[in-house]
Amino acid sequence: AESSLLLPRAGGRRNARGENNAGAWTPRAPPPTRPVLRSSPIGGSFLALARLRCRCRFLSAPPQLMDMSGPRWKKGKDGKDFAALAAAQPMSSNVTKLQSSLKGSKLVATLCSGGGDAVLGVNPQQAALLNRAAFGRALENAGAEKQWFQLGAEEVFYLHHALECIVVESASKDLMSQGELWDHLCSASESFPEMYKAYSHLRSKNWVVRSGLQYGTDFVAYRHHPALVHSEFAVVVVPEGSGFGGRCSRLKVWSDLLCALRASGSVAKTLLVLTISSNVCELGSPDCLEQLVVHERTVTRWIAQQCREQRCKPCREEAYKEEEDHTGETVVSNYWGVILGLTVLSSLLVYKLRFRR
Amino acid sequence: QLMDKAGPRWKKGKDGKDFAALAAAHPMSSIVAELQSSLKGSKLVATLSNQGRDATLGVNLQQATLLNRAAFGRALDNAEAGKQWFQLGAEEVFYLYHGLKCISVSESKKLLSEGELWDHLCSASESFPEMYKAYSHLRSKNWVVRSGLQYGADFVAYRHHPALVHSEFAVVVVPEGVEFGGRCGRLKVWSDLLCALRASGSVAKTLLVLTVSSSICELSSPDCLEQLVVHERTITRWIAQQCREQRCEPSREEPNNEEQDHTRETVVFNYWGVILGFTVLSSLLVYKLRF
Repeated sequence: AESSLLLPRAGGRRNARGENNAGAWTPRAPPPTRPVLRSSPIGGSFLALARLRCRCRFLSAPPQLMDMSGPRWKKGKDGKDFAALAAAQPMSSNVTKLQSSLKGSKLVATLCSGGGDAVLGVNPQQAALLNRAAFGRALENAGAEKQWFQLGAEEVFYLHHALECIVVESASKDLMSQGELWDHLCSASESFPEMYKAYSHLRSKNWVVRSGLQYGTDFVAYRHHPALVHSEFAVVVVPEGSGFGGRCSRLKVWSDLLCALRASGSVAKTLLVLTISSNVCELGSPDCLEQLVVHERTVTRWIAQQCREQRCKPCREEAYKEEEDHTGETVVSNYWGVILGLTVLSSLLVYKLRFRR
Repeated sequence: QLMDKAGPRWKKGKDGKDFAALAAAHPMSSIVAELQSSLKGSKLVATLSNQGRDATLGVNLQQATLLNRAAFGRALDNAEAGKQWFQLGAEEVFYLYHGLKCISVSESKKLLSEGELWDHLCSASESFPEMYKAYSHLRSKNWVVRSGLQYGADFVAYRHHPALVHSEFAVVVVPEGVEFGGRCGRLKVWSDLLCALRASGSVAKTLLVLTVSSSICELSSPDCLEQLVVHERTITRWIAQQCREQRCEPSREEPNNEEQDHTRETVVFNYWGVILGFTVLSSLLVYKLRF
C-alpha cells in the first residue's frame, strides 16, 4: 500500500488547504474523543483492550517534539536513558585522560596532501580514549596493534594547539610548527579561522562538536558522546569584520535565516548562531584567536497559540509566528476511521452470530 | 519526502476533480495580456510608499478581478464602493511598469521616470537588481512568482494561480559578478546548499537556483537588465535505494546520498499491527461463537 498518506515526515507535511506549513515544530493533535459503542460484554472487553492497545501504540509513534528543553538522551538496552552514565563520566575528564595519554606518547599526525585532514596512529588504549572523547573517525585497517584515526582540520588543530598533545607533520614528513600548520589549514579552507574559533569555543566548554554538513549547518553540538545523546544544537558560524572578507554575507537576508531555522527544526535541533567578530586583527597567525570574540545566540520559533496554552519555556528570541499544521489530523482520522470501521463490523458480526443461535 | 514530484500538484475543487482542466482553459499568458490591456487603457498611477519597498494601486472592480486572477499584489480591505486598493511588492511594481508597461508610478504626488524609480527601489533594497531579474525572468515565462520568505527562499514559483495549484519550486537567487559586491556569498558553502535543499524538501518543493551573472555592466540603470544572464538549475536529492527500486525521474544534479528515514516505518508497523491484531481477534471471536 502507498504509505505516504499515513506517514508524518520528519519535516512536516504541507497543508492541503493553503500554503501554511508549520513544519515539524508543532506536536501532533491528540486523538479525537473515542466513539462509544454499544457492544456485547465479551466483545466489549475485547474491544476495550484493543482500543487501549491502539492508544498506546499511537502515543508511542514518534511525534515531532516542541519540547526541546532538555537534552535528549538515547536509551540503553535496559530501557533507561544514558543520563546517569554520562554524569558518571563527564566529558571533561575524558578529554583530560586523552590529553595526558597522548602527551606521553609523543604522537605525530600526518597531514593529507590535499587538504586539512590528518591521520593519526594510536595504540588500542588511546584509540578507546579517542572514541570516548569523540575525536576523529576510526579507519578500518588490518594492523594488529595500531589503530588509525582520521581527524578533521579543526580537530587536528585543537589537539595540537589547545590540548598540546600531538605534533603534526606534513605529507612530505616534515614536522610543522604551529604557524606553518595554521597557514596550511587556512589555505586548505578559507573559512578555517572562524570555524576553528567556534569549534574550540564549544569544545572548551565540554560540548562534543561534529560536522553538521548533512544537516545543512556547519557543526552540530552534543552534550556528551554522540552514542549517548542526540545533538541539541545546529551551529552556524557567521563572521563579522573586515578581516574575514567576503565570507560575512551568510544569514544576512531574512530568507537565509528562515531557511536555516526550518532546516534545523526539521531535524529537531535548535539553531545556534555563533557570531565571530574581530576588531582589527589579521588572521595570519594563531595569535589572533585570543582576540576573536564569540557571541552566541539561539534562534527559536515562537508560536502564539502553543506558548499561551501550554506551560512553555521563555523563548530566547521571538523570530516569527506561523499558523499550525493541520495535516496531522488527516493521518489521525484515516487511522481511527479504519479502526472504527473494523470495530463496528466486528460487533455487528458478533451480534448476528449470537442471535442466530 | 516524496521523490515523485514529477508533475504539478493541482488542488482539488468542490467536485473532487483537480483544477488542471480549469487552468488549461485559462492560461496565465492570456490573463496577463488581458490585465495589461485593461490597465493600459485606464492610465493608472501607483503610489510608492515612503520607504520605497511597496506601492499601492487603486483599480476598479473589473481590473481588481484581473489583478487577482493574474496573482499580482494583495488586495487591501477598504470601505470604498467602486474602487479596490491593492498593495504591490517592489518587483511587481517594476514589472507592471517596465515589463508590461501598463501603469505609471508616483511618489509624493510626483510622477517618476524609469531611472528614478529604479534608483528608488535599489536604494530601498540592495539586492533589487538580481531579485527583479529573476522575477521578470520567471514571470515572462508565465510562472506566478510570490514571496518565499516563509519557506526560507527568495521566491516560490507556481505553475498557475496559487489557488489552483501548489507551488513547485523554491527559488534562491545567487548573483555572480563584481558589481554585486558582497551579496555573492550565498550558497557558497556546501552546508548552506544542503540547508536550502533540506528546507525546501520539507515543504515539498524543488530547489531552483537562479544564478544571475553580469559581464561588465553597472547596475545603476534598468538598461543593464538585458545584459544580465540567468542560469537555472534545479537541485534534487538522489537516494540510491529509491531510484533503483522505483521508476524514478532522472535527477538533474546529484548532490548527496543519505540514508533513508526509518522513523516512518515505526508508524506503519503500529498501524498495520493493530489492524492485524483486530482481524485475528475478531475471527477468533466469530469461531468461538459459532461453535
